[in-house]
Amino acid sequence: MAITIDEAVPGPATDDAPPARRRGGRGRMVVEVLLLTALAVAMLFPVLWMLETSIKENRDVYAVPAKFFGFDLTLDHYKDVFVARGGGRSDLSGSFLNSVVVAGASTVLATVLGVPAAWAYSRFTLKAKKDQLFFILSTRFMPPVVVVIPIFLMYRTLGLIDTKLGLVLIYAAFNVPFTIWMMKGFVDEVPAEYEDAAMLDGYTRLQAFWRVTLPLLVPGIAATAVFALIFSWNEFVFAVFLTSSQEVRTAPPAIAGLIGGTTVDWGLVAASAVVFAVPVLVFAYLVRKHLVAGVTLGAVRR
Amino acid sequence: MRYLQRAGHRSLPGRRARLATAAILAVTALAACGGGDGGGGEAEAADGPKAPATIPELTDDPLTLSFIWFEWPPAQALEDFANAEYTKERPNVTIEVNTVPNANWHDAMFTQFAARQTDFDIPILDSQHIGEAVTNGNILDLTDFVDENIDVDAYDPYLLAAYGQYPQAETGQRDEDASLYGLPLLGDTWTMIYRKDLIGDEPPETWDEMIDAAQKCQDENPGVSGLAFHQANGSDAAAVTYNTVNGVYGGNLWNSEDKSIEGVINDEAGQKAMDVLVNEMKPLTAKGSGNWFIDEVNAAVAQGKACIAFQWIAAAGGLLDPAQSTLGTTEDEILDTLGFATLPTQDADVVPLGGMGMHISAYAPAERQAEALNFMKWFEQEDIQKKWAAAGGVPARTDALESPEFLEAGPFNQVYADSVSRMRDMWNVPEYAQLIDIENTNVNAALNGAKDPEEALDDIAEQQQQVLDSSGGGL
Amino acid sequence: MTTTTDHPVQEASAAPPPAPGRSPRLTDRRLALVFISPAMLLLLTMSVFPLLWALYLSFTDYSATRDAPADFVGLGNYTTILTSPEVWQRALTTLVYVTGAVALQTVLGFGIAYLISRRARGRGVLTTLFLVPMMLSPVVVGLFWKFMLDAQFGVINSMLGSLGLGQVEWLTRQRTALLSLIVVDTWQWTPFIMLIALAGLTAVPAYLYEAASIDRASEWFRFRHITLPLVWPLLLIAVMFRAIEAFRLFDLVYILTSGGPGVSTETLSFHVYKVAFLGFNTGLASAYGILMVLVVIVLAQIYLRYLNKLKEG
Repeated sequence: MAITIDEAVPGPATDDAPPARRRGGRGRMVVEVLLLTALAVAMLFPVLWMLETSIKENRDVYAVPAKFFGFDLTLDHYKDVFVARGGGRSDLSGSFLNSVVVAGASTVLATVLGVPAAWAYSRFTLKAKKDQLFFILSTRFMPPVVVVIPIFLMYRTLGLIDTKLGLVLIYAAFNVPFTIWMMKGFVDEVPAEYEDAAMLDGYTRLQAFWRVTLPLLVPGIAATAVFALIFSWNEFVFAVFLTSSQEVRTAPPAIAGLIGGTTVDWGLVAASAVVFAVPVLVFAYLVRKHLVAGVTLGAVRR
Repeated sequence: MRYLQRAGHRSLPGRRARLATAAILAVTALAACGGGDGGGGEAEAADGPKAPATIPELTDDPLTLSFIWFEWPPAQALEDFANAEYTKERPNVTIEVNTVPNANWHDAMFTQFAARQTDFDIPILDSQHIGEAVTNGNILDLTDFVDENIDVDAYDPYLLAAYGQYPQAETGQRDEDASLYGLPLLGDTWTMIYRKDLIGDEPPETWDEMIDAAQKCQDENPGVSGLAFHQANGSDAAAVTYNTVNGVYGGNLWNSEDKSIEGVINDEAGQKAMDVLVNEMKPLTAKGSGNWFIDEVNAAVAQGKACIAFQWIAAAGGLLDPAQSTLGTTEDEILDTLGFATLPTQDADVVPLGGMGMHISAYAPAERQAEALNFMKWFEQEDIQKKWAAAGGVPARTDALESPEFLEAGPFNQVYADSVSRMRDMWNVPEYAQLIDIENTNVNAALNGAKDPEEALDDIAEQQQQVLDSSGGGL
Repeated sequence: MTTTTDHPVQEASAAPPPAPGRSPRLTDRRLALVFISPAMLLLLTMSVFPLLWALYLSFTDYSATRDAPADFVGLGNYTTILTSPEVWQRALTTLVYVTGAVALQTVLGFGIAYLISRRARGRGVLTTLFLVPMMLSPVVVGLFWKFMLDAQFGVINSMLGSLGLGQVEWLTRQRTALLSLIVVDTWQWTPFIMLIALAGLTAVPAYLYEAASIDRASEWFRFRHITLPLVWPLLLIAVMFRAIEAFRLFDLVYILTSGGPGVSTETLSFHVYKVAFLGFNTGLASAYGILMVLVVIVLAQIYLRYLNKLKEG
């Protein structure tokens, strides 16, 4: 059973509340609340500062001491993310579009390849299954900067350098291990007896998978796909080394490219960071029930 | 370029199947595959791909000519300028200037060169990249083309040499027997930017005076630091700074004849330069400026936080933008406070050579190589060079450099014109990327107290020598 | 790397009774093959084959840009790397970074989880808010912290200034630069540890606390003997994950310090990048990479052993 946020907390409001609250007194509770508030503020401050910078006039961005309040509001930075200075579509919005295509396609590919494999690993007794699963997971742990060297050589033989297809393939290869591990957990939760019953009714094993198990897996597939989407969406190393042209570049290298010119428009950096982060946060919220499994590549579920 | 890659895709399934089979085979099978890839390259570097002397017939079909550069205002200026002007002569052509982050510029071009397949036709190489590109046969030899189509007498010979010649020219000269692989696109050098309202209208003339003026200004104006210059360990930032001071104090980066660096860069003048940089100049910079490059120096000047700053001319345009500046609400107001001058001199009269040339990818399709040649010929005409100057570019032809179109286009353009005869470049060898990294990281370490300056300079000499001696092998 | 897909199916699962009139064993075997092999093929092509290629190159002096055929140099590249003081310096930097970052985020992450688990209201909202940093791209995180840590214009120094403290050169001094990397990584990944620790804390059955309460056990005793033993295995997994991830760190260094000042924040990953893409010493960089992969595989082995122990226990 995957842990959800709401479940992930004991219910002290009921009568089995931790005894500390009964004995520890108010003083301690106040300290704890203050501590938690301080930590929350520290963790959220950079995000708030990013939001604030994205709506500040440039001259306020560089103000010393920093202006927390009382600055002029502007939405120009957000306009600049999508609209080029002289009108028309900005390069950045093109990169966002590339990110959508690359992350989307690689997620579909990883799901199509990973889900059936996960089902097979869950249902059948395979030779050296543990070794196979470990091998699959271990490919995910290779340092990207190391993998990128031979991938680069291979892609240049295949003509895949600086193509969206190249990025899609490598992202899919990085997401397949995750998909298999995560989905295997979901498949394990669907009793094999359902398929057996269907087969007694005359279904083949394949039909049983397709008609009985797969529909039950849809929520799990959705959650898994969302995590794969987030990984591909945020990926930087392969994107920066395997692509160079505007037509292929995804958003992370494009955003990184906003600095290192002659002037840095931090307002624009902040605005594009916000625009880039929003879909991820929305998606993460949608799959909040499966976060623990998601962030541990499906290894921890309980 | 898309077309070429599509062609590549078509053979993909077969290729992939082969690769997958190979994966299961033993490592020896890979030897054949990898080795075949390494050996089966282009023509030998010694006699690399050559452009024809005359421009081949051009196509009338729609054609996109692609450049690759890094992200900065001149890139946009070039795209706008070329699309506005070149299309008057060649309406079927669209110019596209693709840009990558500065930190990625070398990698982006040379990884594509290494793939022997480029999505650009005209790479804009840093002058020091030419050696690597020529040695690997990545760019066309333009010697015959230049002889036939370009009026070489219209240029300062060193400008022509710096952006095109290989093997590298002696500083200030051109070797007419050497081959040319590129033509100047954008000239550049450092300008000294000084606050007229804080240190007076007259710029300091010697390096020592400059340091004194910065010290005095810093003492008199709390919150404003004396100096701002490039110190970052990326790109060529900290290295160019040291090289400049090294030149000013009469040092040399290397002896190109016998390829010696050890004992040259760290000779007495070199040590003196390092000492001045770390012990006299660095204390006058803002706290935490140890990772500053172009944009941070511009920000410091625009925010009124620096008395004297050093910056590439091509990157100084943003300083005049009132929207980015606290120094004035109009360009004229800003120019009342900011002065631009050629670099002070000391023991020698040397300024860094910046800027870039245009080159032609050996892997571009023939029709676009022809168009690229035509573009170059067009670009290097006198009136076009003047228009380029008016559009914000820095031309290379002497007549354009002396024209009012150029000199009046920006307050720092006179600085460039005055600096042309004083320019010095770095090493232009295939191992450039490693040499610059060694120098960048060590100078950066010295500037930030992570290494003793003298030790840093000796390390530079030793490590760079090692790279040259092993032709780039080793860590 | 010894896995093959040649005989993936040994026998059908014991659970399903055979369907009448068919040979389920054969069907299942074929089905498993059909279902698993596409995924395996992708992994073999995109992960194993490149790795084997890198392994081959690691014994040669091949360069991706020079037009010279590759010559075998035996173990030369490996000895160059293992005897290079520069590499060991990067290894030390990486070790300090991994240890510092993982230790800090474990303590903080567990602390936050513990505090949250003791709250009655607002837990869902709190947890969600705490998780935001983890979802951001390292690029966004790196860029933004670079802006906030700027010595002149950065908000961190501005706040220190209003507290009457001096400016700190966060990114340009040897010690503070590495510390900054650790802080930023901790900011981003503390939520990861928190999330997993929270999952562990919920698994502590309430009756254990009640029993302890009847025994009048001290709070420390309860924490030490009830809470911690139950959360510990999960926490170990989280730590392993983080250690492996931190070991691979590249993007944050690339954006935040690009290895500076000097080379003092160059991690192993960043150094490999320089060898591979500045000098294009492909053979040497491949050997470097293979060594790193070996280290990661050893770490992953340890991790999996813990995972198995956990499942069995």
